[in-house]
Amino acid sequence: MDTDLVVRAQHGDKDAFGILATEAASRFFAVARRILRDRDLAQDATQQALLSTWRALPRLSDPARFEAWSYRLLVRACYAEGQKERRWAPNLRLLPMDMPVVDDGLSSIVDRDQLEAGFRRLSIDHRAVVVLHHYLDLPLDRVADIVGIPVGTAHSRLHHAMCALRAALEADLRPSVREAAQ
Amino acid sequence: MSTERDVTRIVRSWLRTDEYDFPVEIVDDVLARLDATPQDRLIWPARRFADMNTYTKLAIAAAAVVVVAFAAFNLVPRTGVGGPGVATPPPTLAPTPSPTAAAFPPAGALTIGRHSMVLEGLTVSFNVSTSGWISNGSFGVDRSPDIGPEGASFIFWTDTPVGVFIDPCAAVRGPSVGVSTAALADAVASVPGTDLVSGPSDVTVGGHPAKLVVISIPDDIGCDPQRFNLWYAPTPGFARYATALGSMYRVWIIDVNGTPVWMDGETFKGAGPEPARQLQEIVDSIQFE
Repeated sequence: MDTDLVVRAQHGDKDAFGILATEAASRFFAVARRILRDRDLAQDATQQALLSTWRALPRLSDPARFEAWSYRLLVRACYAEGQKERRWAPNLRLLPMDMPVVDDGLSSIVDRDQLEAGFRRLSIDHRAVVVLHHYLDLPLDRVADIVGIPVGTAHSRLHHAMCALRAALEADLRPSVREAAQ
Repeated sequence: MSTERDVTRIVRSWLRTDEYDFPVEIVDDVLARLDATPQDRLIWPARRFADMNTYTKLAIAAAAVVVVAFAAFNLVPRTGVGGPGVATPPPTLAPTPSPTAAAFPPAGALTIGRHSMVLEGLTVSFNVSTSGWISNGSFGVDRSPDIGPEGASFIFWTDTPVGVFIDPCAAVRGPSVGVSTAALADAVASVPGTDLVSGPSDVTVGGHPAKLVVISIPDDIGCDPQRFNLWYAPTPGFARYATALGSMYRVWIIDVNGTPVWMDGETFKGAGPEPARQLQEIVDSIQFE
């Protein structure tokens, strides 16, 4: 991260912010898409997070912490978009059949479907911890910092989420893809 | 059966193989909206200590030492000074020096002493007299590593909430109620589904008139407490939800010369008097600079 760009953007340099936003947008979208499980909501969350970043940049006291700080704004934007998700109809989607096959224990489309359904049943707070830790590989103290919770809470949320996902994978009655989509 | 390790591996793999096309229009849309999105400007000069060169920093540090030394010299009671019959005024205690104003105390454990932050563009400081308080670096200060009877937490709102949710479980916002502390307090007292414990009451915080409202979250709210929304700020995505059933919220809304400043403290189900006492102690230590 080029802290000079951050400092310039803090002082209102839109070109500098444009470079920062271009670098951050795809990362933001990837995280938001995984947390929210919805392309449109993720797109809105990414846009809101980038605008919040622009707006709040002068308040960032340490430009070197831009990345972690901006993820915090992204997670908040995901929370806000997650509220919309509750008001709108659940948006379950059929999984693409040409999903790459990897030898990871994730052996079938049914497993993916179970994971998808289990993940959607988690609160946004729990999903955020799972994605930040298991997708971005952030240690839990940094996850806690980004989400704005004590480290102990991050541990307990991750534990709860993983238990729920394990239960989803081990469910005896697995609905078919058709049933899950109904 | 899946072992813990297997589940972790499966979930990590699932997250990594889940690929999506990035909608490239996002950045263009954001950049097109920058002109209509003013940045939050701080009330102190934008040039910060970290931007200064070494000589400037040393000069400021040296000046600070001189000021502190001068102040200390003037605070030392002088003996043998003053003639008979002249009452020696008691030494005037200088206000507790506050640290350089920052947007919020940095993330991590708060040391015992004063900490400053910027709320609604106003520099505010508070005192921590016991260990165990942790800042999240942006808006929250927690007393305990987890939710429970011994825990307590503050949200210090950098942007003051402007309204409450009229259907908390469905996240339906009521209209903005403006900047009147009385109207905001009345709104807090009327959040549907909550129990009003006390208030709105007239109190004083940091020498300014304020409203205090205390509400609690009953067990029958009808949704997960973290889906139960209470009040919202104008900044997109900034809203308070209930952390847990049985939580109690003390909301102070302070009228600082016409600018409402909002802080809310939370204690949890089964809490004894100590967490609330520590919340009140911090509020009592608030100073506006």
